[in-house]
Formats: sequence, C-alpha cells, structure tokens
Amino acid sequence: MIKMEKVTKVFKGDVVALRDVTIDIGKGEFVFLVGPSGSGKSTFIRLLNREDVPEHGRIFVAGRDIGGLSGWRVPYLRRNIGYVFQDFKLLQKKTVAENVAFALEVIGKGPQVINRQVPAILELVGLSRKMDRFPHELSGGEQQRVSIARAFINRPLILLADEPTGNLDPATSVGIMRLLERINEIGTTVVMATHDSSVVDSMRQRVVELDRGMVVRDQARGVYE
Amino acid sequence: MFSFRYVLRETGQNLWRNILLAVATVVTVGVSLAMFGGFMLFQVAVDSATARWQDGVEFIVWMNTDAGTDEDSSVQNQLDESPGVERWEYVDREQSYEEFKEFFEDTPEVLEIFTAEGVPPYYRVVPIDPDPDVVEELGNQFKGKPGVRTVTFAGDVIRDVQNLSNRAGRVLFIGSIVLLGASTLLILNTLAVAISNRRAEIEIMRLVGATKWFIRVPFMLEGLVQGLLGALVAITSNALLRNYVIDQFSDADGLQLLAGFKVDDAAMLQVNLLVVAIAVGVAVIGSNLAVAMHLNE
Repeated sequence: MIKMEKVTKVFKGDVVALRDVTIDIGKGEFVFLVGPSGSGKSTFIRLLNREDVPEHGRIFVAGRDIGGLSGWRVPYLRRNIGYVFQDFKLLQKKTVAENVAFALEVIGKGPQVINRQVPAILELVGLSRKMDRFPHELSGGEQQRVSIARAFINRPLILLADEPTGNLDPATSVGIMRLLERINEIGTTVVMATHDSSVVDSMRQRVVELDRGMVVRDQARGVYE
Repeated sequence: MFSFRYVLRETGQNLWRNILLAVATVVTVGVSLAMFGGFMLFQVAVDSATARWQDGVEFIVWMNTDAGTDEDSSVQNQLDESPGVERWEYVDREQSYEEFKEFFEDTPEVLEIFTAEGVPPYYRVVPIDPDPDVVEELGNQFKGKPGVRTVTFAGDVIRDVQNLSNRAGRVLFIGSIVLLGASTLLILNTLAVAISNRRAEIEIMRLVGATKWFIRVPFMLEGLVQGLLGALVAITSNALLRNYVIDQFSDADGLQLLAGFKVDDAAMLQVNLLVVAIAVGVAVIGSNLAVAMHLNE
C-alpha cells in the first residue's frame, strides 16, 4: 500500500529530515512511527500526503508513484488518505455533524450522500448523540473522535495520524486507540506517529523507529523502546 | 464536481463576514466606474453636439438645396486648388438629412416640416492653419459663389467647448484610471482578509482533497460580486447624469449650441456595457492576484 525507496528530504539550511529511507507497508497494516522530536516522523507523514516532496527517492501510494503526480491530481490522492491531527483542527463555528460533513461537501458530494454517511460515521465513533454540539462543548477525546470521523468518512485506503493522543489523558487515549484499531480491522492501513509509549506497548503492532531521519528499527509486533 | 449551493453559501458568508470592507470596496469600485462612465457620457454628448466640427473642421460651406452639378464642381475645384485647405469632405443630401434627423430626433415637429429635399448638402473643410483670421479669410472666399448658400465657422464657442471637454475628460479619465487601480487593490485586500479569516477551513479543505478551483471559486466569486455591485452603482450614476444633467443642457432655452448635447439610448447601452466589462476585468484581476498571492493550495 505504501512504499518508500531511498527517500531523502532536506529542508532549507541543509536540515536533513529523512535520509535514505526505504520501507514497505502492506494493505491493512497498523504501523507506529516512533522516535524523538525532530527524528522525521512528521516529515514521513507529510510526504505520504504529498504536502512535501522528497529531494531524492520515490514514494508509492496504492501502487502509484506520487512524486510524479501533477498538481491537479494531488487532491484525488488525498481523497484516499485520511488525516488525523494532534490538535484536532476542528472548525469552531461548525457543529460536530457540520465538521464531518465538510469533508464530503468540499469534494463535491451532494446532500443525499452527506445525510446518509454523516450519521453512520458518527455512530461508529460513538458521537451520534452529540452531532449538534459545537467543538468547544466537547471533551478532548470527543473532539479527536470528530477529527477521526472526518478523516474516515470518505472511507480512505490509508489513515495517517500525527500524534493523535498527544493532547489526551491516558484513559481517553485508550478509547481513541480502540477506535483506530477498529478502523484498521475494516482494512484501512493506519500509520501513526507517536511519542506515547503506553499506547505502542499495549497494541503490539509493527513499530518503525526513526532517528535523525534514518530508520533505525523496523519491528513486527514491537514495543516503544 | 462543484456544488452550486456550497459555492453560493460560501461566497455569501465571505461577503457577510467582511461586510464593512466589502461595502468600502463596492463604493470605491462604484465611484471609479461612475467617473469613467461620466467621462464617456460627456465625450459622447460633446461629440454629438459638435459632430460636424470634429477632426479639425474649421468651416462648412453650405450649398443651396437646388445647387447643380456645375456649381458643385466649381466649389470642389476651388477647394482642391486652394493652398490653405488641407482636406475636405462632401456630405451629400442623404447623409446631411440623416445627420439632421439625429440632431432633431427629440423634436418630431421639426422633422415633420423638413424632407430630404429641404436639407442642404455641405462641405466640411479642414484648413492647414487653424488661426481664426486665416480661416475666416479662407472661408469668405466661398461666400457668394454660385450655388453656395452660406459659410459657417467653428467659432470660439465650439472650440472652447471642445477644449474644455477634452481637458475635463482627461482629468476624469486619469482620475478614474487611478481609482480603478485602487479598486483592484481593494478587492485584492478584501479577499486577502477573507482568505486569512478562513485559513483553518482552507487547510482542512486541502487535506481532505478539495480541488484548487473548489477552494478558489468562492473567493473569486466574492470579488466578482463586489465588482458587479460597483458596476450597478456606476450604471445608476450614469442614468442620473444623463437624465438630470446632460438632458438639462440640451433642453436649456436659448442655448442652441448645446441642442445636440445629448446621449442616445444606443450610446448609453454601450457605455454601460463597457462599465460592466471594466468591473468584471477589475474583479478578475484583483481576485486572481489575491488567490495567487495568498492561497497556497
């Protein structure tokens, strides 16, 4: 599903974010990206979403070399990739349902599709009773559920999560991880960057460790350290 | 695929969120287009009033309505041979009658009295030297010739009207161009503020796969709406200018000179269409600059 071949990403000032990274992630895998701050986890995720392009190497998503993708095709790539953020990035003036519907609306889906899919996804994330609430009326965990619902409503092949439990307490994090696990069980490939060792240790999924832009460990059913 | 409802809603919301800035933009676009429209209408009216005296024509040799071919040839030979004449143009009876009809289209009672046979043909003459004394001497050479009814001169008043109109026109034109430049920048700034207010939404849109045009169109439409509302202000101003200023001149008693100072419906429509086209141009340039500078999809 995801393949990186000798990928190097250098930022301004010759800061090497990723160095010669080669990795293969299969369909339906759950992969943790771990490593200290500045090790290249976020860059890894941004490259998969074509927010950045590498200086060297090739990246394949669903069999397609996304490095050669022309600008107008990038939005169509992103429709196959859900994105979950540490800070949720919910629109404060929209309700829970409107936030989730927004992801469908802006890719041109009509009211019929929206009215069918939004309640279903809110049911999946356990927020069907709070669909008319605004983000500031929700707890952190609930806000992250909305963010996951928005990322998953388009049934993407891949879900990228950048520190999704970073702003949550341990108990709430467990709930969020259960949700991501369910999404993974449906067949979605999940790549999650995290600092949260308890989450990684409890899940026992594949762990890819980055350090100064290099893959220093790639372990099936691994732990944080 | 574009959702029409979504685009309209977003455009409306953008305008509403920045209502004060949007009003300022519409007023500026409207004032600059109104100045431009005013400039165009005055030009049309002055051209209409001084139609016979355009392009350096300093005197007109009017022939008798019954002047024969020999008399015409004699005048033409004299015009050709006169060293003081740069060029001349013959306006035959039909053309002259058409001009006459245009000139008096608002007074049908005059048109009823005259037919094509009653309207004289004439020669419009452009002298080499426009000095009034030289022109008068030249023109007087044709007075009293067989077939010539009279010779009329542009005179100081016509020239003064043309000069004043040209000068005022230049000021209006330059002023309106400067204001149109300002309007473009104001549309750009209004959209920059709208884009900045919606930065979070735009980021989400990008990441969930909205296309570049889906993100851009509501902003561009916002600019277009501002431009078109400005055009509406200018069209209203044009109508007021025509009905309450220009038409008053032509109705004024005793000002025969200004009898033709008017703007007909076709010219009005042309000016208004030009105003709308410029409004669209200003809006398109302003919005394109705004999205290119502030929207990094």
